[in-house]
Amino acid sequence: MITQEKYRTTVKELLASGSVKMVIGYKPGSTPDRRRPLFIRTSEEADQLVLDSTCMTNLSGYLVTEGLLSDEKRVGIFLRPEGIRSINILAAEYQLNIEQIVILGFDSTGRDVRPLEGRNAGDFSGLLSEIKEKPVQTSKEPLLERIEKMNAQERFDFWQEEFSRCIKCYACRQACPMCYCRRCIVDSNQPQWINTSSHTLGNFEWNIVRAFHLSGRCVQCGNCDRACPVNIPLRLINQRMATEVLDGFDHFAGLSPTQEPVLASFKKDDTETFIL
Amino acid sequence: MAKIGVFICHCGENIAAKVDCTKLAAALGEHPGVAVSVEYKYFCSDPGQESVKKAIRDNNLSGIVIAACSPRMHEATFRKACAEAGLNPYLCEIANIREQCSWVHTDGDMATAKAMDIVRSMVEKVKRNNKLQSIEVPVTRRALVIGGGIAGLQAALDIANAGQEVVLVEREPSLGGHMAQLSETFPTLDCSQCIMTPRMVETAQHPKIRLLTYAEVESVDGYIGNFKVKIRMKSRYVDMNTCTGCGDCMTKCPAKKISSEFDCGLGKRTAIYTPFAQSVPNIPVIDKASCIYFKNGKCKMCQKSCQLNSINFEMQDEFIDLEIGAIVVATGFQVQNTAVYGEYGYGKFPDVITGLQFERLASASGPTAGKILRPSDGKEPENVVFIQCAGSRDPSKGVRYCSKICCMYTAKHAMLYAHKVHGGKTHIFYMDIRAAGKGYDEFTRRAIEEDEASYVRGRVSKVWQENGKLMVRGVDTLLGKPVTVAADMVVLATAMVSQPNAKEFAKTIGIAYDEYGFYNEAHLKLRPVESSTAGVFLAGACQSPKDIPDSVAQASASASKVLALFSKEKLEREPVIAVNNEATCAGCWGCVLACPYNAIEKKDIRDRSGRLIKQVAYVNPGLCQGCGTCVTFCRSNSLDLAGFTEKQIFAEVMGL
Ligand SMILES: Cc1cc2nc3c(=O)[nH]c(=O)nc-3n(C[C@H](O)[C@H](O)[C@H](O)COP(=O)(O)OP(=O)(O)OC[C@H]3O[C@@H](n4cnc5c(N)ncnc54)[C@H](O)[C@@H]3O)c2cc1C
Ligand code: SF4
Ligand code: SF4
Ligand code: SF4
Ligand code: SF4
Repeated sequence: MITQEKYRTTVKELLASGSVKMVIGYKPGSTPDRRRPLFIRTSEEADQLVLDSTCMTNLSGYLVTEGLLSDEKRVGIFLRPEGIRSINILAAEYQLNIEQIVILGFDSTGRDVRPLEGRNAGDFSGLLSEIKEKPVQTSKEPLLERIEKMNAQERFDFWQEEFSRCIKCYACRQACPMCYCRRCIVDSNQPQWINTSSHTLGNFEWNIVRAFHLSGRCVQCGNCDRACPVNIPLRLINQRMATEVLDGFDHFAGLSPTQEPVLASFKKDDTETFIL
Repeated sequence: MAKIGVFICHCGENIAAKVDCTKLAAALGEHPGVAVSVEYKYFCSDPGQESVKKAIRDNNLSGIVIAACSPRMHEATFRKACAEAGLNPYLCEIANIREQCSWVHTDGDMATAKAMDIVRSMVEKVKRNNKLQSIEVPVTRRALVIGGGIAGLQAALDIANAGQEVVLVEREPSLGGHMAQLSETFPTLDCSQCIMTPRMVETAQHPKIRLLTYAEVESVDGYIGNFKVKIRMKSRYVDMNTCTGCGDCMTKCPAKKISSEFDCGLGKRTAIYTPFAQSVPNIPVIDKASCIYFKNGKCKMCQKSCQLNSINFEMQDEFIDLEIGAIVVATGFQVQNTAVYGEYGYGKFPDVITGLQFERLASASGPTAGKILRPSDGKEPENVVFIQCAGSRDPSKGVRYCSKICCMYTAKHAMLYAHKVHGGKTHIFYMDIRAAGKGYDEFTRRAIEEDEASYVRGRVSKVWQENGKLMVRGVDTLLGKPVTVAADMVVLATAMVSQPNAKEFAKTIGIAYDEYGFYNEAHLKLRPVESSTAGVFLAGACQSPKDIPDSVAQASASASKVLALFSKEKLEREPVIAVNNEATCAGCWGCVLACPYNAIEKKDIRDRSGRLIKQVAYVNPGLCQGCGTCVTFCRSNSLDLAGFTEKQIFAEVMGL
């Protein structure tokens, strides 16, 4: 509660001083443990702000809404550490100018919410490096361990089972802040690389392409998991890819706004275990 | 409607022995869109090509598939035939049913089934091919030769004598390479310096050659006809414009005990030095690591002694940017470090030396003025043992390959020794005598018959010192007995290996190398002087162990390739280049970073009043090499590669 009140005041101050034109935060949703995005432009709107442990959504995707940042004015946004990593990636991929973003950072343990020190992306580099060294444990971890222990066939069967439920609604794509392309590869039909119907092959194609497009970019915010109407543990695939790029190329997605994309850059000492 | 012609080649027995070509032709004849499907023994032959052209004309074909060998062999041949028959050459595709099918399979039925898949998939591709036009790019008529050994000199002189500009880059202070170190050369025993130094002088004075010594290639960008090269001129600390090479500085320099690289450690040099008296250019450099001033801030004796004020301790490295059309790599070799053979005692016993050190002893310009004297006490050795293959043909410790020159130079050493030390005895331990070459076998026979070299067939297991003698224990495999020879000096025929930085350097220029660090040719038999990168040629021992005649021949061959390239004003390039879909590009610039040729730029999209709407990627067709890296990177699938479009590839895959 205290954090929420403090932040309401901060938002009002930021708006009043004109240092931001808008703040993106959370407001109550349809059930007590759901939150909706809130776009605060006035002091009255700031009173609707909610900040508690149920504020899970990574809001950074809203920043790349067409035209939002083109007037070069600044925008404030409530972000967890994963969200901060997301905007670093968006900056590294030239989707936004990091100078325009005012960060209102927070994190939670259990029901407690606490603010994070700092306003600019650079202020959080120490925190992000710590997370790189000591990854946060999430509730899905035991499942990941179970999957890791499976042999290839079991793992294939597991995912086949999971993907069989996919209805190709693309909510996972819509929810992911990294999926900002104007035209997604699944929408390109000349040629149609990815089958649109939701059968095993098409579902595999979609989810594997998604995993590749997010490798070295996913920050495990869980937006996709939560968006998926059929509860496929999507984040785990991307988490696995994140481990791969971390082990193979020492790449921790979103560590800084100038980080080079792992798949487009190379270092002379990159391991080449895949070259026979 | 597609009207595709399918031409199935037997390649003599190469394909027909495994693939049932008649069955294949019949099956493809049934494939939708195929108008003609025929087989023939050799489609690449003259009548074969004529029959393809006739079929194109008679049937008004809209595309053809040649099912034959790798496109690397004959794609150009059949494209040309297409063009001659009035069909756009890019409507021709090659289905490789030789390297990728008949050669690698034993089961005929399965090979035939696979060939069917391969050809069908190419038919599906060619149906979606577009008519493309070749791209013309200008050629910069200036060659870069890297390395100033005999190979580099020959290439530079040949190109320059044909009237084209050359920039020659040598990393050492002087031209010459290894040949300048040699005494006399097999198979004619002419003095190496006497034939080498005039070449060096001619190169330095040639109006068409720009000589950059003590210089290194920093980076190479661009492509055939249009390379951009950055050269680092290492600071000599001596002004090349004013120094006359009088050598006063070298006599005054108090740091005199530095082991001379040129004399392989058998002689000494000063900190300010030229590698040898006949150096070209005859202008010294200061070896910063040994210079007393650079070490303790006090000395500058050389500066004081220089009448022309040419010495400048503040000098910095400089960079030169060059526009280059073709590159000849002639970076040569090194001799293997013999320390790996602890049992031969190299480094432990001063009188165990390498072949190259023997060259310095026998050379008139060497530390002993051409007298064969042993390093330990300066006495004339009465008995010398030569050990061949000290490194070569030895997979366990040395290198697997044959260094090719050691049999010859060991015979030469035995002869030189016999000529200089009358009554001296030689024993040569060898594995085989490989003396293939004009006048070579005669040469080794002469060593045996006239100069009494005693050849012992077998390996040496150990060298040790006893009563002032070097005891050499080996085996005579022809007699089947161990032998021990007491020698005054032992000469190791060390292996020829690639330069220590060869692999790194290959990455700088972008060429391929083998497991040993020797540079790869485009085709071992048919394109032996071209590297794997268009516009980059190879000369001399950087490609494989070579003697002087081979190095020179290859250098001249490279020069002629360069001149052929320069004979054209413009180059035709395949129109395989990437194009971007500006409507879907997300402007992430991943492709900009990924492109190895820096071919992608950021382009502004503006509305009618000039307002910036967005930025998108733009592929510069002059720079794009069609590698496809960007296409695979682009997540929004905005980039596509002409000639290998997504539609074509997709059709190809679905045709399987
Ligand atoms: C002991 C011995 C005896 C021999 N005797 C004979 C003989 O009697 N007859 C015969 O025919 N052959 C003989 N040879 C072989 C002969 O030395 C070689 O064939 C010849 O030197 C090869 O010439 P090259 O120009 O290819 O290489 P090199 O002579 O090695 O010249 C290469 C040059 O390139 C320069 N360089 C290297 N890297 C770079 C770089 N990155 N940038 C710029 N410059 C660079 C080097 O400094 C050097 O000047 C002998 C060899 C040895 C070891
Ligand atoms: S893939 Fe899922 S977990 Fe990863 S960044 Fe996107 S929404 Fe977040
Ligand atoms: S959100 Fe779930 S159901 Fe929808 S497309 Fe993604 S994986 Fe499939
Ligand atoms: S990778 Fe694709 S989306 Fe990104 S800038 Fe290049 S063309 Fe545009
Ligand atoms: S295909 Fe793409 S990556 Fe390759 S050279 Fe062309 S623009 Fe660069």
